[in-house]
Amino acid sequence: MAGTVALRPCGDFRTSYGSDQTVFPTRMSLAFCVLGVAALSLAPFVFGKYVLSLLIQIGYLGIAALGLNILVGFTGQISIGHAAFFGFGAFASAFISNKLNVPVFFAIPLAGLATTAVGLLFGVPAARLKGLYLAIATLAAQFILQDFFARAGWFTGGVAGTAAKSFSVFGVEISGDQHYFYVVLAYLVILYLAAANLMRTRDGRALVAVRDHYLSAEMMGINLTKYRTMSFGVSAFYAGIGGALYAHYLGFVSVEGFDILFSIQFLAMIIIGGLGSVMGTLMGTVFMVLLPEVMGGLAKMLSGSAIDRLLSLNEGIVFLREMTIGAVIVLFLIFEPDGLAHRWRQIRAYWKLYPFSH
Amino acid sequence: MRTNTTAAALLLSAGAMLSVAPVATLGQGIPVGHLTDFSGPTADVGGPYGQGVADAIAYINRQGGVGGKKLEAETVDYSYQVPRAIAAYKNWSGRVVAIQGWGTADTEALVGFITKDKIPYYSASYAATLTDPVGGSKSDKATPYNFFYGPTYSDAARGLVQWAAEDWKKKGGQGKGKYVHMGANHPYPNSPKAAAEEYAKELGFEVLAPIQFALTPGDYTAQCLTLKQSGAHYAYLGNTAGSNISVLKACQTVGVQVQFLGNVWGMDENAMKAAGSAANNVVYPVRTSAIWTDKVPGMALMREISKMSDPGGTAYRASHYIAGVCSTLFMKEAMEWAVANGGVTGDNIRKGMYVKQNWTPKGTEGVCKPSTWTAQDHRSNLQFDLYRVEVKGATDGSIGDLIAKGAIQMKRVATIELPRKKEWHGW
Amino acid sequence: MEWTLLFHLVLSGLIVGALYGVVAMCFVLIYKASQVVNFAQGEFMLIGAWACWWLLVKFQLPFVLAFLVTLAFMMLFGLLIQVVVLKPLIGEPVISVIMVTIGLSIFFQALMKWMFGVSAQPFPPIFAAPDMNLFGLQIKTVYAMSTLISIGIMLAFAWFFKFSRMGLAMRATAFNQQVAQSLGISVRKVFALSWGISAMVSALAGVVVGVVSGVSPALSFFGIKVFPAVILGGLDSIVGAVVGGLVIGVLENVAHYADSQWLRWGNLYEIAPFYVLILILMVRPYGLFGTRDIERV
Repeated sequence: MAGTVALRPCGDFRTSYGSDQTVFPTRMSLAFCVLGVAALSLAPFVFGKYVLSLLIQIGYLGIAALGLNILVGFTGQISIGHAAFFGFGAFASAFISNKLNVPVFFAIPLAGLATTAVGLLFGVPAARLKGLYLAIATLAAQFILQDFFARAGWFTGGVAGTAAKSFSVFGVEISGDQHYFYVVLAYLVILYLAAANLMRTRDGRALVAVRDHYLSAEMMGINLTKYRTMSFGVSAFYAGIGGALYAHYLGFVSVEGFDILFSIQFLAMIIIGGLGSVMGTLMGTVFMVLLPEVMGGLAKMLSGSAIDRLLSLNEGIVFLREMTIGAVIVLFLIFEPDGLAHRWRQIRAYWKLYPFSH
Repeated sequence: MRTNTTAAALLLSAGAMLSVAPVATLGQGIPVGHLTDFSGPTADVGGPYGQGVADAIAYINRQGGVGGKKLEAETVDYSYQVPRAIAAYKNWSGRVVAIQGWGTADTEALVGFITKDKIPYYSASYAATLTDPVGGSKSDKATPYNFFYGPTYSDAARGLVQWAAEDWKKKGGQGKGKYVHMGANHPYPNSPKAAAEEYAKELGFEVLAPIQFALTPGDYTAQCLTLKQSGAHYAYLGNTAGSNISVLKACQTVGVQVQFLGNVWGMDENAMKAAGSAANNVVYPVRTSAIWTDKVPGMALMREISKMSDPGGTAYRASHYIAGVCSTLFMKEAMEWAVANGGVTGDNIRKGMYVKQNWTPKGTEGVCKPSTWTAQDHRSNLQFDLYRVEVKGATDGSIGDLIAKGAIQMKRVATIELPRKKEWHGW
Repeated sequence: MEWTLLFHLVLSGLIVGALYGVVAMCFVLIYKASQVVNFAQGEFMLIGAWACWWLLVKFQLPFVLAFLVTLAFMMLFGLLIQVVVLKPLIGEPVISVIMVTIGLSIFFQALMKWMFGVSAQPFPPIFAAPDMNLFGLQIKTVYAMSTLISIGIMLAFAWFFKFSRMGLAMRATAFNQQVAQSLGISVRKVFALSWGISAMVSALAGVVVGVVSGVSPALSFFGIKVFPAVILGGLDSIVGAVVGGLVIGVLENVAHYADSQWLRWGNLYEIAPFYVLILILMVRPYGLFGTRDIERV
């Protein structure tokens, strides 16, 4: 989408600056997007609870991953502390809706704003750092926030965790996966459109300039500190919303689970999906959510079968599953280091230019 | 061409796998879910426990199942990753009538769902906050569908403190004994911290400032030096086995003279082997009335069940294995009651758990502790044993050999009976 | 003021800090040569520890022999990883290579669990006297061995990078890959060698931690401690990484001392390095000893 050079078909020329900067490069891509959202709206009637829960997971993880992609892919920073912001959003939403008695409908955006504040707090010192120093500063943020979660019983419920109310709109409670799916879908569509829109505004272009060559950007008058900090803030906002949706889906938030391994999973989502691509984020999230499920299904098919008996794998199958997950990530990146978005663009280009592509 | 074929291949395989994954069992059996950790961070204790549950289910089926129907159990190894546990649950929901779960991560993630869907959840997470079915105690959430066999972490810690108080008196200690809590700043070790410190103060101990050490193995000389300097007499190790081993070894090197108190997941046969002589004299709670080598009537059944995965009958089974079997057998007897009283549904199984008082499943006399669940109180065991570790000599070799040779021994030092206090409920 | 306790804590901090410094050195070696943040450093330690354990337990080799064989194996292993997995990624965006190291760490964690099981295993007794006395502090003999070896390695590294041809070649490649290539330095060989050395030296740290605490899958988390050490020391000098490691080791213990005597905030042993890290980075964005990158347009 925006931020990358789109392949325009012959004859599709633009006559005004505004029409050149549309979020969807062609009418067809807009139509496909609308169709896709409409198809997804039918999902609760077609799919069972299992697939629906996977879709909801892809939803809130995708929102958080998009935040990370804005930070890493569009601004060229790096963060290994994203799970801590995700967790902060989850706790904040539970806290706001429980202790401050704000309806959940408003608690979720407020939690996003609270997380933005925390993100800005860490963004201010981080704006001066580059490369590995920045990565490790965010690692420090991850551990510091985790320690805070364990310590601050008033905020997180400490040992017992905290229960999160279920979503309700004007007193009408929305419970059950079928209904919650629409809430997540709405947030997903709005936030993804917002990110795509951000990238075509002046601020978005400034972020990309900071990524590509920050010296030149600074010389052109782009305030590096301001945009780097802003990038942290926006990324934290997305993480906070994702975390809040997660909290109200589970109905319970516990300190466990927002650890460094989770941060690394977010990084995996955006790297495999494609840095700097809004669509790629979603693809990467789908990949990372489905990979363990597919591997689990394979392992279940394999156990007890002839191959299992032949190689006497038995308990080794679960380890084989984990090893395959690591191997798939490694092999995927060896063959496609630019991510799924790039591969998708190649496929589209192949069909567009057929039979003249090579 | 290469791009297209690879893309097509990927899509097809993913589709094929997804279509296989949610397998709907339309059999005549009783669907039961089973979450385990065989390959994740808690696999060293999750492995034996999960194996115990799996073997018990296989044994139940071999004996004809429950009410003539076999248990259709689906074992999912979720590697301690919450998203996988949620996906596994959603795959089961609507079908299973009970779930044998595992640790804090999955239990807490699923507590909202299973309460709404009315599915009894048998966990190996013994957090006291899961023992209040109606709410109103210090735990502010009502968990009517969470069950576990074993004392809560808090009650086990209280029991250790009670033993420490008696031990202090027996040793003729002058003045106030000193008690210190050692553990990571993490929910698992923190779970019993407040309860134990409060009870220690009540029993006349001087409670020192807690000492933190991480859940991962490492060098904990600093913590041991501080412990030595503080002059503590009783130190509760709240972490899991891996890091407890590091602390025990470091404190042995530094020369700390303190009575270590372990916890259920923090000291077991494997930890004794790994820590060697450093684990000598540690006192820890055991959930069952007997260990694998004891000759009690119930152990014969355990050995039968063990043969489901070890036909030779030579494997040594840790206490976690036996606890897993007990947990499954309690579920089975509740299901049998449900069959005779309205059918096997989640709610009926729950009611089946409240029927008997002080019950041990048939055939496990002398092994599974008599347990009671009521509609107001899910604290099943307020009576449990404390064992002391005795390590004589080097600990190379398999655990079975070491125990047979007597290099590692576990001696019962006390049977603790805690009062069922309302003020202690839920924390 | 408990002076003896403080002294012992500082001493213990220096000993463990030497280990952190060694692992930090390996990490910086890879980062300097190929700009890759190696998330699999902990797994290198783990593989080295398990390999040494296996040689000792299965084949009953004497410790020195098993240790040397482990080092040789890890050198080959590091070379193999670089040639098979990382060579195809030369020239690709560095963040993809970072992700590959993450994938490798997942792969090797699972492989180690499969091959050696999930429970902690103790090392067989190696030294006649497991503990020894140092200025009144009882420490494990293996720590004395590791400190001596660490100092030896640091000196060897210092000599290697200053005076040997290959060392100069590595420094040149770290400074500017293309210029080094144009001068006839084989960048592939430099990368391969840097990964091989890094794996080999990590194995040393892994074996030491294994002897002290037993080998278990969680040993790889030791690698996380490396990151604050690397930052403190700055990325420019290997010796800086070592100094960073020592500082972190002492800092942890001193923070713990302050916490247990006066502050009583709890958990400062784990958290203090990270807070200090952020403070230092706010004041000196290139670490304590890092040289400021002069940027030219």
